[in-house]
Amino acid sequence: MFTQYFGNYLLNKGYLTPKQLHEGLEQIKDTRLKLGVLAVNAGYMTAEETEKVNEAQKKHDKRFGELAIEMGYLNEEQLEELLSSQKLGHLLLSQVLVDKGIMTLQEFEKAINEYKRDYSISDEEFEAIQKDDINEIVNKFTKFEGSKNETILKDYIALFAKNLIRFIDREAVITEVTKLEDYECQFAALQDIKGEISLATYIETDEDSFIKFASKYAEEDLTSLNEMAEASVGEFLNLHNGIFLVNISNQGIELKMTPQEVYRTIKVDNIYKVSFDLSFGKINILIKEG
Amino acid sequence: MGGFIMAKETFKILICDDSILVRKKLKEALSLCSTFEFLEAGDGQTAVDIYKKEKPDLVFMDLVIPVKDGITAVKEIKEFDDDALVVIASSSGTQENLKKAIKAGAVEFIQKPWEQEQLENVVKKFLKKGE
Repeated sequence: MFTQYFGNYLLNKGYLTPKQLHEGLEQIKDTRLKLGVLAVNAGYMTAEETEKVNEAQKKHDKRFGELAIEMGYLNEEQLEELLSSQKLGHLLLSQVLVDKGIMTLQEFEKAINEYKRDYSISDEEFEAIQKDDINEIVNKFTKFEGSKNETILKDYIALFAKNLIRFIDREAVITEVTKLEDYECQFAALQDIKGEISLATYIETDEDSFIKFASKYAEEDLTSLNEMAEASVGEFLNLHNGIFLVNISNQGIELKMTPQEVYRTIKVDNIYKVSFDLSFGKINILIKEG
Repeated sequence: MGGFIMAKETFKILICDDSILVRKKLKEALSLCSTFEFLEAGDGQTAVDIYKKEKPDLVFMDLVIPVKDGITAVKEIKEFDDDALVVIASSSGTQENLKKAIKAGAVEFIQKPWEQEQLENVVKKFLKKGE
């Protein structure tokens, strides 16, 4: 995820053209290595064990390495070794750009330093961000102005980003958070969270992206906005909110949720709109505090 | 195995979830374990009504469902039939929900997304053929 952020930064600062960025990102896709691949390569885990960890990741809000240790497949020392050998996406992007003669190494160094300064990122935070620590990325790049539950909303969005990456699209990137007084949804799945913290949550997008999103989650080729497509997006929201409630419950706060519903062209007010770029389109998650 | 024996050994499973996708996926996953006759409900009241009429061998029940929530539906099913086997399949496995489900009489709690192994274990545990 950080690769896309850094790539967009280079684009906005004029280091790259959109075409150059696109080509660079395309080129690094094949060279990015997963921790599981590295673990198998190192002989620390079997392919079957990595599959089991991947499955467990769908249910537990934990990283691959953390789960692999819990499940007894890796020890701390092995994990450290694998993490240090894991290629960092933004470095791959920079390498591609330098190799293609689009940037010099000096320009890259300058851009990285500007980036840290512009976002007030400490070396420690940068260490976490460049390892795609989603909680740190969301914490640093999103703001919920005026919210009395900003920490909880950031946790909610970080979890949503992780679930998007796990179930829908590993290239998902948060693009912006805006606060809007009025907004007209095109196609939206809605679910209310109630209790000590009350939130109305929506996944909203256009028809085409809704169908593609639904197809990804259902693992079926859906071609129209039918009952199955509505059920698929609704169930993803339900799954995400369910995991969120479990996380909050572990902090001692018990919340409830209502059955999910799907609407077409509804108006909402006083919401935070968090936009995500996916490989097949854009989606928004809308949050209205109660 | 011949058709006659299969017919005698085919269990009836009721799946209650408001999502048509979940019902479909659960049926597909359970069908990998054995051959079952499936009944479906999209809300808690319909599940109770179907249970009373059909007396299925096993029920998979979501918690957050329309009309009548899953916990209330489990209680009503257990009041009607104390031997009913109800497995909760929900994304919301909070401590509170686990306690409520056990108190209501559910025999198992599976957090979504389920793993095939969990379903196989449930089938093995509660649906023993020939008994």
